[in-house]
Amino acid sequence: MDRNKISKWLKGPAKMGHKYSLSAIYFCTGCGIIEVPPVITARWDAERFGVIPVASPRQANLFLITGYVSLKTLKAIIRTYEQMPDPKYVVGFGSCPINGGMYWDSYNTIKHLDKYIPVDGWIAGCMPRPEAIFIGVTHLWTLIDKDMAKGYVKYREKYESYRKNQEQILGKLEWKPLYPIRRRK
Amino acid sequence: MIMIIEVVKIIVLPLIALIIGIFLMGLARMITARIHWRYGPPITQPLIDMVKFFDQRGISHGFIFDFGIILSLAGSIVLVLFIPFCKIAPLSNSGGLLVILYLMLITPLGIALSSGASGNPNASIGISRKFMLALGYEVPFILIILTIMKSYNSLSLIDIVNVQQAGTWSIISSLPLFLTGVAYFLILPAILGVRPFDMTTAPQEISSGPKVEYSGKYLALLSIEHALTLYIGLTLFVNLFLGGSANFILFFIKILIVFIIGLFINAVFPRFRIEQALKYLWGIPTLLALAGLILTMII
Amino acid sequence: MNKELLTEILATFKKTQGYIEKDNRLFIETKKEIVPALLKYFKDKSFDRLAMVSCVDRINENKLEIIYILTSFCLDNPLNIILKIKISRNEPELDTVIPIFENAEPYEREIHELFGVDFIGHPRLTPLFLEREYEIPPFRKDFDMRKYSEELFDSVPFVGDEK
Repeated sequence: MDRNKISKWLKGPAKMGHKYSLSAIYFCTGCGIIEVPPVITARWDAERFGVIPVASPRQANLFLITGYVSLKTLKAIIRTYEQMPDPKYVVGFGSCPINGGMYWDSYNTIKHLDKYIPVDGWIAGCMPRPEAIFIGVTHLWTLIDKDMAKGYVKYREKYESYRKNQEQILGKLEWKPLYPIRRRK
Repeated sequence: MIMIIEVVKIIVLPLIALIIGIFLMGLARMITARIHWRYGPPITQPLIDMVKFFDQRGISHGFIFDFGIILSLAGSIVLVLFIPFCKIAPLSNSGGLLVILYLMLITPLGIALSSGASGNPNASIGISRKFMLALGYEVPFILIILTIMKSYNSLSLIDIVNVQQAGTWSIISSLPLFLTGVAYFLILPAILGVRPFDMTTAPQEISSGPKVEYSGKYLALLSIEHALTLYIGLTLFVNLFLGGSANFILFFIKILIVFIIGLFINAVFPRFRIEQALKYLWGIPTLLALAGLILTMII
Repeated sequence: MNKELLTEILATFKKTQGYIEKDNRLFIETKKEIVPALLKYFKDKSFDRLAMVSCVDRINENKLEIIYILTSFCLDNPLNIILKIKISRNEPELDTVIPIFENAEPYEREIHELFGVDFIGHPRLTPLFLEREYEIPPFRKDFDMRKYSEELFDSVPFVGDEK
């Protein structure tokens, strides 16, 4: 540990805690999940970056969307995202969540993920190599350091718009709103 | 003056236990990584996790949920005070092995209360497995405690440690005590809840069992409780069988050796199913403990 | 042996044509009324596994083609029996084969959902994969996926862009 890091720890221990301890939730969408087992096991060993997979959304603060998102998966993604405690970070992995990828004209696969939930970072490629996940994680560190990974704050502030977009695609949602919705005059 | 020293001891001992427990958790992750042929996290990783958990937004599920976790933590802290650490032993004179036997059940009870209130079915499955496992290891554990009481004619841990300090370690002093020591070592992973016996918190089967609904501060309290459980299981073994120690460093080295041997088992073994665990626990360890008890009674 | 089976089938069932391809594929084209009887016949002949039920949209002939594929677990015979029937595209109706092969249930639900074929006697033809309701079932060839996806997904605004 150099002096710079120690002073950062003293200044904002909570921020450094979030930075160096990212618990990614086990959630598989599409084909990108096949890149994740080598990342978390002995070959690439994500644990040295503090990234560790957890089984429950209550304990997670990193959400990797690893591939195309069909409407049914979108429903599960929204529910999982709303169950995660603040602060939480979402990383879109692969080209499908960015703009639809090869499913750009599909009848059942959404094109832009960030219309429905806020996304803090993107990893482009089809498929990205496991190293790209680490580059994504280090970029996420920089974003957290500069207070730019504020997707969860955006979700809270613009919740009406997000909820409206979700209902436009999925119809009426079965669950209650996470934040109170203000009625427009 | 003596009063103040006692109070200071009562405050300091849980802190020492916590520091040792967190250190052991970090060491466990590091050594497991090295056994898996990877670099592994820094040794401070559990501490970083805990700092993060305390800043996260926790979600409560009602009064019982909060109360149960505090109950289990309180049970662990009180239990720490009953087990002597070097010469620091604030409550060891007032209680004995019987108190320890009872207090060891409070921790799982509190967690059961708390995670049962969360209403998650995975938590209920985990809790039922936890109590089955407790049923499994309590039988040989009681036999072991009885053997020790009989052979030293004492209930007090302080007396037992002092006798061992004067003579030899109890695990090599006589055959029945050697048998019970081996039996205790065999059930130690079940008491600590590590790998061959981690079916209670299996992430892949029941999404980490009782702690599935915990987040933020509640999860931090749960990790503190886990650290204390590690400390309790190991210090009890060191005090009962490896002679304790008046020297802090020697005591710590004894804890470390026992822990690392257990860790090797943890790192390479797969997980038991619950009925396999019961079959194992009621098999060789119980037989060894029973043989030890009978031999003590005869001699 | 396979040829004997084929001649036997052609003799037993009227209005069927059949041929063998690559020694292990027995194609049978038939009418939809005969399908349950034919499947029962094969099941009695120890072809006891319904590998899949599939559907093809023959838009030029204005027909939907339903395909059943049967294999055997117990015979030492690597023969795939492929049953093809053509039904009307405008009023697609067919008897269910669940009484004969129970595992046809999800296949028939899927075909009902994606091609709009009604299986008479199916216990629950509820949605299986899709979240939305479509006017034309999405796997039919006159369904314009590109137009649909542009209309649906591009009409959703980016959050922060809208007024």
